[in-house]
Amino acid sequence: MASSDTTTQTAMQKFIPPSIDCWKASDSSRIYTGEEIFDYMDGAGEIYRSYNFQKLLVQRYACPNQEEILIEVFDMGSARNAFGVYTYMQGRGTSVTIGQDGEYKMGLLCFWKDKYFICIRVEKENPQASKAIFDLGEKIARAIPTEGKRPDIVKHIPLNKYLEKSLRYFYRYEILNIHFYVADSNILNLNDSTEGVLVRSKKDSSYLLLAGYPNKEQTDSAYNSFLTHYMPDSKESGIVKTENEKWTTCTKEKNYFVIMFDVPTKEQAMISLETFKRRLP
Amino acid sequence: MTHIITRRDFLRKTGAAALIATAGVPLFANQALEKKSKVILIRHQNIVDKDGKIDQKIFEQMLDEAMIKLFDAKTPEAAWKQIIKPTDIVGIKSNRWKYLPTPAEVENTLKSRLRSVGVQEANISIDDQGVLQNPVFLKATALINSRPMRAHHWAGVSGCLKNYIMFAPEPSDLHPDSCVDLGSLYNLPIVKGKTRLNVLLMMTPQFNCLGPHHFDKEFIWQYKGLLVGTDPVALDSVGLKIIEAKRRQYFKGDLPIRPSPKHIAAAEHKHGVGVADMKKIELIKLGWKDGVLI
Repeated sequence: MASSDTTTQTAMQKFIPPSIDCWKASDSSRIYTGEEIFDYMDGAGEIYRSYNFQKLLVQRYACPNQEEILIEVFDMGSARNAFGVYTYMQGRGTSVTIGQDGEYKMGLLCFWKDKYFICIRVEKENPQASKAIFDLGEKIARAIPTEGKRPDIVKHIPLNKYLEKSLRYFYRYEILNIHFYVADSNILNLNDSTEGVLVRSKKDSSYLLLAGYPNKEQTDSAYNSFLTHYMPDSKESGIVKTENEKWTTCTKEKNYFVIMFDVPTKEQAMISLETFKRRLP
Repeated sequence: MTHIITRRDFLRKTGAAALIATAGVPLFANQALEKKSKVILIRHQNIVDKDGKIDQKIFEQMLDEAMIKLFDAKTPEAAWKQIIKPTDIVGIKSNRWKYLPTPAEVENTLKSRLRSVGVQEANISIDDQGVLQNPVFLKATALINSRPMRAHHWAGVSGCLKNYIMFAPEPSDLHPDSCVDLGSLYNLPIVKGKTRLNVLLMMTPQFNCLGPHHFDKEFIWQYKGLLVGTDPVALDSVGLKIIEAKRRQYFKGDLPIRPSPKHIAAAEHKHGVGVADMKKIELIKLGWKDGVLI
């Protein structure tokens, strides 16, 4: 599903203003592609690569007697990748209306729009620098001409029941494991042609994992793999009390596989799963 | 068929809390290392000023005291002589991350202590990203590892283990699964058996990060300490405990480091390059006690 549509450096530079308030671009922008991202940031670059990162533009701004402002524009190749990497980061700051979703905390503004994920940061937050960051963010968001399509799978999550800021969108099990460790192998058969959403319940802090597959065969295969490796003691009932005295339950519906982890009671697990299953197309 | 380790295995063996520390590690790997790893934690109230600037004289005193205790020696020189010969060729692996680098005062002190036991000036080099092109490092007979500890967005934390990633011909090969195999760096031919001392700087550690390469003074604190030892895994393990304690204090509850810094436990259980289990670490605390957190 991942697109490899990339933007030229010139086009990306057009998103970036030459100055804002007293801050001026202090040197030429730098572009990093592929593994070059590790020259810019070390292992943390793997997060972007896990979401099929294409290209990174970095621009620094300087202002006399002020902190440096740093802009990073990631061309993620598709809106789903940009959304995914945004959800990886979200939940740490206050929501802002910049781009399609955005957050700000302590001098760091992150947002996504179309296939781009953008971070603007200042080392030491102060009112003048924060204002400049927001102004830069709004200018960049306006310069990106179109919005991207949010992955359809997200629409199935009832956000009145789940914590929106806990939502993670991914298609690699390594990313799932960072947010919620399931297994040391890819027992859910996740890959670039699948997708997954992990989100936490408002009511009891249990986890809902919804995975989408290209066809029923792959869904069945993932379901059977999970039963075999994660809950062999469920005797294929799809529900089991785990070692932390909570309940894990799962079901499948057409091309979707649903798992609920750490539900406090069996009854609640069964009701929640059935209720959620009815929402699926 | 290879046994797949799931969340439930961890819940079964150690309880949910331990999952955070050990995810991805073979659960029942043999625990061959019985001898306790000695780690010195030394702190001084005035090692850094309000701006984080290091007092070199105090640093020298702290390092000397730690060395004496670590090697049960009568003098710092005697301690250094236990690990370094005058004929050694020594690479000091530092860290140049611009927000929290290995300070020059630390590098200078380490170098002067090597000189004091007879190592030739030409046989000492300090480097970070250029170690694989550095002639001293390429023919080094001994390595000293020193860097500040910080939260890291892909590995959980960056400490002694991660500081050696530049010894890998392809550092990105170590990135899978949140850098779980960083311990393997200590088995590379250019490194194996050469590290004589690790100095993990806890003077102003960073306990949280909000994204790749994120730095904010809000998330560092003046802990004013050093961890000194020969076991990089034990140092990272103790450093992690301090970082976790600070996070509990700051966030007023458990907010696990994300991703889990599982490479520390894996360095013991999978790569056998040190001891991560606190029960197998002899922690000796010296100096300033306020806010020690461990």
